[in-house]
Amino acid sequence: MEKKKHTTITHPHYACSIGAAYTVSAIPGAVPVINCGPGCVDQQYFTMSFCNGFQGSIGAGGGDIPGTNSGENEIVFGGAKKLDGVIRSALKIMKGDLFVVLSGCSPQLVGDDVDSVVKKYREQGYPIVHAEVPGFKGNNLWGHEEVVISIIDQFVGEQKGRRRKKLVNLWMGAPYFNTFWRGDYIEMKRILEGAGFEVNVFFGSESAGVSEWKNIPKAAFNLVVSPWLNLRVAEHLERKYGQPYLHIPILPVGEEATTAFLRQVVEFAGIDNAKAERFIEKEAARYYYFFDHFADFFAEYWFGFPSQFAIVGDAAYNIALSKFLADQIGLIPVGQIISDNTPVKHRDAVAALYAELSEGVSGNMEFIEDGYLIEKKLSEYDFGSGTPLILGSSWEQDVADEIGALLVEVGTIATEEVVLNRTYVGYTGALQFLEKIYSAAVSG
Amino acid sequence: MARNIQLDLETVENREMRLGSIISWDGSASELVELSRYEERALRHKGCPGAGKNGEGCRLCELNMPFNQQSMCANSIAACQAGNLRDCVLIQHSPVGCTARNPEFNLAFRNGLERRGIKPRNINIMTTNLLENDMVFGASEKLKKAAREAYERYNPKAIFFSMSCSTAIIGEDLSSIAAEMEDELGIPVAPMHCEGFRSKHWSTGFDIAQHAVLRHIVNKHPKKQPDLINIVALWGTDYFTEMLKPLGLRVNYIMDIASFDELAQTSEAACTSAFCHTLGSYFATALEQEYGVPQIRAPQPYGFAGTDAWLRAIAKQVGKETEAEAFIASEHERVKPKIDALRAKLKGVSGFVLTGSSYAHGLISVLRDLGITVDGSVVFHHDPVYDGGYEEQNTLKTLVEEYGDIPHFTVSKTQPFQLPALLKRVKADFIIIRHNGLAPNAARMGIPSFAIGDEHFPVGYDGMIRVGEAVIEVLARKKMNQVLQRHVSLPYSDWWLSQKDPFILAKHPEVLDEAEEVQD
Repeated sequence: MEKKKHTTITHPHYACSIGAAYTVSAIPGAVPVINCGPGCVDQQYFTMSFCNGFQGSIGAGGGDIPGTNSGENEIVFGGAKKLDGVIRSALKIMKGDLFVVLSGCSPQLVGDDVDSVVKKYREQGYPIVHAEVPGFKGNNLWGHEEVVISIIDQFVGEQKGRRRKKLVNLWMGAPYFNTFWRGDYIEMKRILEGAGFEVNVFFGSESAGVSEWKNIPKAAFNLVVSPWLNLRVAEHLERKYGQPYLHIPILPVGEEATTAFLRQVVEFAGIDNAKAERFIEKEAARYYYFFDHFADFFAEYWFGFPSQFAIVGDAAYNIALSKFLADQIGLIPVGQIISDNTPVKHRDAVAALYAELSEGVSGNMEFIEDGYLIEKKLSEYDFGSGTPLILGSSWEQDVADEIGALLVEVGTIATEEVVLNRTYVGYTGALQFLEKIYSAAVSG
Repeated sequence: MARNIQLDLETVENREMRLGSIISWDGSASELVELSRYEERALRHKGCPGAGKNGEGCRLCELNMPFNQQSMCANSIAACQAGNLRDCVLIQHSPVGCTARNPEFNLAFRNGLERRGIKPRNINIMTTNLLENDMVFGASEKLKKAAREAYERYNPKAIFFSMSCSTAIIGEDLSSIAAEMEDELGIPVAPMHCEGFRSKHWSTGFDIAQHAVLRHIVNKHPKKQPDLINIVALWGTDYFTEMLKPLGLRVNYIMDIASFDELAQTSEAACTSAFCHTLGSYFATALEQEYGVPQIRAPQPYGFAGTDAWLRAIAKQVGKETEAEAFIASEHERVKPKIDALRAKLKGVSGFVLTGSSYAHGLISVLRDLGITVDGSVVFHHDPVYDGGYEEQNTLKTLVEEYGDIPHFTVSKTQPFQLPALLKRVKADFIIIRHNGLAPNAARMGIPSFAIGDEHFPVGYDGMIRVGEAVIEVLARKKMNQVLQRHVSLPYSDWWLSQKDPFILAKHPEVLDEAEEVQD
């Protein structure tokens, strides 16, 4: 008989679906409006942003997010009236091109008719969307997809005009949740543009804001670069606009992976590859200029650094960083723990990515969400006699101490890192990743 | 005189009912002192708080705003109390999101352990991680399972349960499950009815956590420890020991960082005080009422006047008046030259204080003792009376009497959209702040912030020196804020930024129609 599923969680590595307020907040000009209890989105801020590389906020994020702060009155008599007042004032007080109402646990449980409140404003011409994201229905990654789909259905609208052959919709990590998302989006846009594409990135410093969202139907295809996140979005867009998608499950890290990634996208798009090849050549030359320098340290450093590593984190960073270290650097992968509650239907496909991390090197991956069990597992791994490297979160500090490991924070929760414009993906990111790991190794 | 605490009840009454607390008000500090009618409210034991002889003026008038921004809730406050004990475990009976602030409490816990000389480690808070099915079918079995798991994993001396909005709405019977698990596991299991929607202010969460400790952990058969003083605190540095050593007292900090035994022995102490009455009054009053542990009848230990009065009141309690006078005199002499030097450096500087209720009263005294002008302050709520109810504890009145009025005294629960109007009407070279959400916008307006994470920092005579020195460092950071101000903007409409009254929406809701015209 199958053992009953373990359900409690200590030290969660994700927020609840209200954390998807930060999916909205990451769109320049968009304003989340929270429809639930008085502390919900404030709590998520700490997991998503503040205690995740101290990312901070811009626009309508952090303390600036409007909310109903629903109290006893709204629970007993319904919260529609209070929500109406908050929306009405938010539309006047907040600067915004798009307002997204996120309804949490309490309005869902008491059965508020939120849609009709929001609809009234949409019919008056306000750019406003409603996403039902009670925390008991899923985590912030589920919420991210719900919010994106709600915006597509209630704001983007129907397809008008022709598709543009070189325009791509890029769907990758969840903003704020992926600690280095700002840098990741910059690098991914940079390399795709370098290869000859125009890119809708939707989030962060490189996004044109809501106008980019309006352009979704104009793209030739959707590019999903993540093991499972956003596949639901791409499938939805395929149904809605007949728009095809290309799914590349592993974020490229390092020259070889990034070059292969670009060639795959160019081939799928069927565009001329001359520009891409020129770009690749230049990028590769620069990459190896630095990688070559790094060889001295790697070959000659007398005082040792970790050779065996374990990783804890969301599926996207987990596979991308594991593959790079195993395949490009030759670190020995001891164990990989995916802590993001990957949906069951994607688990086999995600697991298959670990079958061969490099030629002759297979992974040892498990899905675990409970921090207690994660820490227990880490303490049981056999790292040999050297210093283990743990790529993980602040929750793994104690076990890292206990087994004498070097801990490098690469995901939610990260309170030992201040992250601004940093990325560990693409050409640039791989070098920053090496800098980070080996600076920690030589100073630790 | 002290108010009536009802420890026989499963949960504590909300602050707004018990004390008449408000979260939205604007005026001068002296007006608020008058409207609070502290003494009158203190006399009432039951019924409508603050009702006068004829029942008039039940409530302190509040400004009802149609717009809100989010901040903390009672649930996360309860977690930051019961979840930060050294040998007890908190189980949050909730979906996973109600635990999302714990990483910050973990930072506070680790820092707190270090401040108190204990090896830092992570907090252990569990969540039952409730899903959709649990909302439909109930989740009591999951909670029981979690309690057994907590017991096996961590071998705790006590377990706390906390209620969330969703578990309260679906009617989870926390108290019965706690009683059942207490029997089964043989350790105290304390339920906390701290669902976020129940109180309009998060500080009710402090009372709920303290109520749980008082009912389930405090030693019911105390053996007196005449040299022990309880200090209700958060994660602050141990500055109290050196201040209380001359009076022959050992400090017992509660509740963050405390162990089960430290909580249990609170009923054995000689007396109780706190770094802030907002936080400590419920616990102190309950100990006084139930176990005869007197609470200190004094304002808080901030600034010269406050610290003097506080030390004298404690000394009187433990019969050390002579020692106290000698200590006070020598401390004044020791710190005076340093404070004079700081006053010279801080001449002409203006500050603005934004913190929880009575802590702000203390901080303003410290700033004014340093010669810093304080013409405005935001308190995140206002308790017109504390549970203690002693006249000597009326901290706002003491502040106004000792240091003069504060012309712009605002009660507002961390609403950043009000900040531009609030900061336009006073001069503020820096802000001093606890809680998140406001300082970043002050920063964007060119004003540096002193985020006072160690709440004990301003305590006592040395506290004034610490604050003065920190303010000088904070003022230097204005350079960064000026860069920000030159290049970034706030996320509010021009119409809103042109408003002068932060409470205009409550006073004249029709301005929203004007806004519509302006924007159309």
